[in-house]
Amino acid sequence: MSALLSVRDLHVHFPAVGEHQTPAAAATRAVDGISFDLRAGETLAIVGETGSGKTTIGRALLGLHPPASVQGSIRLQGEELVGLDETGWRAVRWQRIAMAVQSAGTAFDPVYRIAAQIAEPLRVHLHLSAREADARAMALARRLGLTSRHLRAYPHQLSGGEKQRAMLAMALSCEPEVLIADEPTSGQDVLSRAQLVALLQAICCEQGTSLLLISHDLAAVAQLTERVVVLYAGKLIETGDAAEILASPRHPYTWGLLNAYPTMTTARDLRAIRGSLPDPSNPPMGCRFHPRCTQAVARCRVEEPLLARSTGVASGGERLIACHLGGLQALLEATALRKAFRANGQIGRRPADDGVEAVRDVDLVVWEGEVVAVVGETGSGKTTLGRLLVGQLVPDAGQVRFEAQDLFGLSTAARKRCYRRIQFIAQDPFDAISPRLSVGKVVREPLEVQGIGTDDERQARAREALDAVSLPTDEGFLGRRAHTLSGGQLQRVAIARALVLDPKLLVADEPVSMLDASEQARVINLLKDIQSARGMGLLIISHDLALVRKIADRILVMQQGRIVEAGPAGRVISAPQHAYTRALLGAAPAFDW
Amino acid sequence: MRSQRQPQPKHKRGALVFGLTLLASVILVAFAAPLLAPYDPHAFVGRPLERPSPTHRLGTNDVGQDILSELIHGARISLIVALGASVGTVALGTLVGAVAGYVGGWLDSLLMRGVDVMLILPRLPLLILLAAFLGTGLGQTVTVIALLFWPTTARIIRAQVQMVRRRGYVQMARGFGGGAFHILIRHILPEIGPLIASQLVMAAGRAVVLEAGLAFLGLGNPAAKSWGLMIRFALNLPGLLLTERWLWWLLPPGICITLLILALAYVGIGLEASLQPRLEGV
Amino acid sequence: MVRRLIGYLLTLWIVLTANFLLPRWLPGDPLSALLDPTSASYVYDAEVRAALAAYYGLDRPLLAQYGHYLSGALTGDLGRSIRLNRPVSGLIGAHLPWTLLLTLTALSLAAVLGLLGGALAGWRRGSSADKVLVTLSVVISNAPVYFVGTLLLIVFGARLRWLPLAGGRTPFATYPSLLDAARDIGRHLVLPALTLTLATMGSQFLLVRNSMVTVLGEDFMLVARAKGLSSGRLKWVHALRNALLPFVAHLAAHAGLVITGAVFIETLFNYPGMGRLIFEAVGARDYPVLQGAFLAVSTVVLGANLLADWVNQRLDPRLRHV
Repeated sequence: MSALLSVRDLHVHFPAVGEHQTPAAAATRAVDGISFDLRAGETLAIVGETGSGKTTIGRALLGLHPPASVQGSIRLQGEELVGLDETGWRAVRWQRIAMAVQSAGTAFDPVYRIAAQIAEPLRVHLHLSAREADARAMALARRLGLTSRHLRAYPHQLSGGEKQRAMLAMALSCEPEVLIADEPTSGQDVLSRAQLVALLQAICCEQGTSLLLISHDLAAVAQLTERVVVLYAGKLIETGDAAEILASPRHPYTWGLLNAYPTMTTARDLRAIRGSLPDPSNPPMGCRFHPRCTQAVARCRVEEPLLARSTGVASGGERLIACHLGGLQALLEATALRKAFRANGQIGRRPADDGVEAVRDVDLVVWEGEVVAVVGETGSGKTTLGRLLVGQLVPDAGQVRFEAQDLFGLSTAARKRCYRRIQFIAQDPFDAISPRLSVGKVVREPLEVQGIGTDDERQARAREALDAVSLPTDEGFLGRRAHTLSGGQLQRVAIARALVLDPKLLVADEPVSMLDASEQARVINLLKDIQSARGMGLLIISHDLALVRKIADRILVMQQGRIVEAGPAGRVISAPQHAYTRALLGAAPAFDW
Repeated sequence: MRSQRQPQPKHKRGALVFGLTLLASVILVAFAAPLLAPYDPHAFVGRPLERPSPTHRLGTNDVGQDILSELIHGARISLIVALGASVGTVALGTLVGAVAGYVGGWLDSLLMRGVDVMLILPRLPLLILLAAFLGTGLGQTVTVIALLFWPTTARIIRAQVQMVRRRGYVQMARGFGGGAFHILIRHILPEIGPLIASQLVMAAGRAVVLEAGLAFLGLGNPAAKSWGLMIRFALNLPGLLLTERWLWWLLPPGICITLLILALAYVGIGLEASLQPRLEGV
Repeated sequence: MVRRLIGYLLTLWIVLTANFLLPRWLPGDPLSALLDPTSASYVYDAEVRAALAAYYGLDRPLLAQYGHYLSGALTGDLGRSIRLNRPVSGLIGAHLPWTLLLTLTALSLAAVLGLLGGALAGWRRGSSADKVLVTLSVVISNAPVYFVGTLLLIVFGARLRWLPLAGGRTPFATYPSLLDAARDIGRHLVLPALTLTLATMGSQFLLVRNSMVTVLGEDFMLVARAKGLSSGRLKWVHALRNALLPFVAHLAAHAGLVITGAVFIETLFNYPGMGRLIFEAVGARDYPVLQGAFLAVSTVVLGANLLADWVNQRLDPRLRHV
């Protein structure tokens, strides 16, 4: 299929306001080298946060920026648009490319009736008579659910949603080749959003109009479009088949974006990508996402990644991402893990080989920066799984790979270095922390074991870790014996001890089950905050589905040593597939819903 | 991109500097008037209607007073009126505006209806009427101007006070049990301070125009010879415009008034721009 | 609109009452002084004194005076002039048309020029022409109107002798035809009207220019541009049409400014309008004339406000359907 609209290496730079001496130095690079194609009859979505440059692209396609600001190439059916003068652009605008702007509320001239404004381009461009133009405006508006009462009204008399529909009618009036719809549904309620877009697509299909949908809500548009372009800070970072991106985002930002927005089915608390969008006049060196990326390496800070075919995608659809690491990395990956306990010590007539298989054939992935919960009843094997993953037990079969290294294939010294980056938080802090040691000693212990830093540095890092878990850092507290602390405080000390090595992955086995209800909520939120701020991976092992759904991105359900169900938290909670999951959900306290 | 806060444009700062420089020179002249003026402005020091000469740089008027000395001393009158009337206007306006904005309710409605009425009235005819009834002393002129022109300030101050009052920290202060007086002094006054400053400057400019205007219409104080009064006296001379006398008698006070008003206007524009950095235009 | 009308009637009542109370309550008792043989402003003409005593009725109770005053004001009896011993209403009737001629001429000129200039300057904001026009407007609108008028008078009246120096028409002239009358009145009108236009145009220009700049930044202007409309259509049909709204809203406030200017200009040019009447009354402390003139001018300004409100409602649909 040939491209109807072809954008190549588009740059839109705005000179800094007020400073005319050095235009290049502090220019706002709103769009910085973007290329994409829109094929005839296709629906393409451009997705990004506010300030990512998506609206700037829309306006560039209509030549609404000062000509000096725009560089690159925009071709419509092979015809170059960049460099056209106002007269040239006027012939393109609305007849060939039209736009429904985001701010429909203020998009209408307040002193003219809606009908006149919809009909205006028809009369100007197609030279229709007043009556013909009105009739056509009317017909189009009817299809979008407006009545003649709406058309006779002045803009201030319509609701936001009605204005948006009128805006769409106005944009479609000249049957353009391309319709740019900038957040066309933001004023609509959830139900009519999907209907409106479907209607829009139907009309576009009849008219032969290709649709360019601009939105901040990846999850919503991905269901409505064929392909998606994801922008970050003026750069294109991922593009590909919409359904596939939705199912398996590859760029860490796309993944974060999908996690950031609540959907109707998510019971999880809203989570945002850490940090904020960079200053467009002074973007970070290298990959623009690296300050917020949980998996950034040294190269990301200096070298800008190019858009390249992504490797980790199975399907035939073309998926391009801009990431040095080739996309989202698996932090921890376990394949075909098995562990059985022999019944040697038991009294009975069982044969020696008739052990209890606690973990049977478990596959598990924790992505960079992800929160995964393994949920199951006591005896389901989840604690054994946790101990296997952190190296406290050796598996009978299978592999555990951490940051792409096979943990059990490593030399002891290398493994020790690896385990510095995986930390474990046990269920019972009274058991896990020696009651005779002082808090300071407890938290410093891992550093001493690993032989990191001088005494002063260890002390400083211990304080930092205690601070991160909201505990006091004064000498008095550092000198307190563990047995004088409450359960909640002790569990925080345990978390601080885990944090002191600055781990990449935290494995927490029932971290709050020993605590009373109010402490449970506080500690679980603390874990989530720390995970989010530090960009760690977090694997929570718990029996409490109601508790983990608040923070988990993905939930794995374990029964008798097997993973019986796995999926995004929202899906597992709202549409459980396995009977066991449903049973677990049924057991959850009802008032919690 | 459009909504980004912009630094104050250069030409606005230029306006402020220009206005302040000009204003400072007028103030300097007013203070040093006895030193700068060659003669007592009220003394009859020459023959009537002398042409400019080394002894009388701008000649003499119809009764033989030195015009340059009149001009230099005139700066004092204009500035006294400007200061008195602007302080009076803004004090009244701020009081009414702050009370209306802070107290709200029926008192606010009542005060603002009054302001509306006063704003619609043609104020120069009313000013003339009042000045005619009250007499022509400087004090009366200042009072009358203040009495008629506070509503503009009141309306602006009220809007600002209403805005500040809704802010979180004022709500908090009320929550702590802060009284109206405490809140007005501690929280609201600092917020409306810059606005009061710009209102003072605007009111001063208006007072200069009005004083000169009243003097021009014959409602000035003959004992306090302002620039406006000089123009009036010059124009009273039959056939002034047909000779060259207007060049040294009428033109200098006219230029002086214009420059003083412009100075105040530019200071006002500069102040206003620094108050509303996002305001586009002018 | 009915509420507005009631508001204006209320304002008119307040004006009438203020006009009644002010001279009676002000310190110095200026009205009694007119009839007090020991005061400086004692009216010596017995006939005029009798008329004044009858009109003000100071010996009657205040409420009776008020009733008499109100009924008089509503039937056109505004007392008699001390100076001319003629009915004030007659004097106003003779002077008001001249002022209306002058102010309406200047107002329309200033409106058209300010509107066009402001629209073009706003459209080309930031250009050197825009900057020059803005600076000129600030200077001219701040210079005292009588000073600007004097300069024009000197240049065009005294030096070039193109136009008459003073008056509304040539004294004692008889006109063979209506056209000659119009020409003579027109020649006398040029300088005062030009002065008043200059004095009021600046603020109109700045207002339109700034509204234009604001409108050009609105979303609907971006959409209009995206619709591929011609620049003429953008400028006149969309931008100016919207910039017109604050302009019209301020037109009423402008009426006050124009009246103020007219008072000075008529004094300067000896133009036989209300300003001249007020000026002469000031000189003679002719209180009935001053009060009557104030009432008349206030009524005219209130009427202008009402008219501007109505026009604005016609122009802005948001004010029509609330």
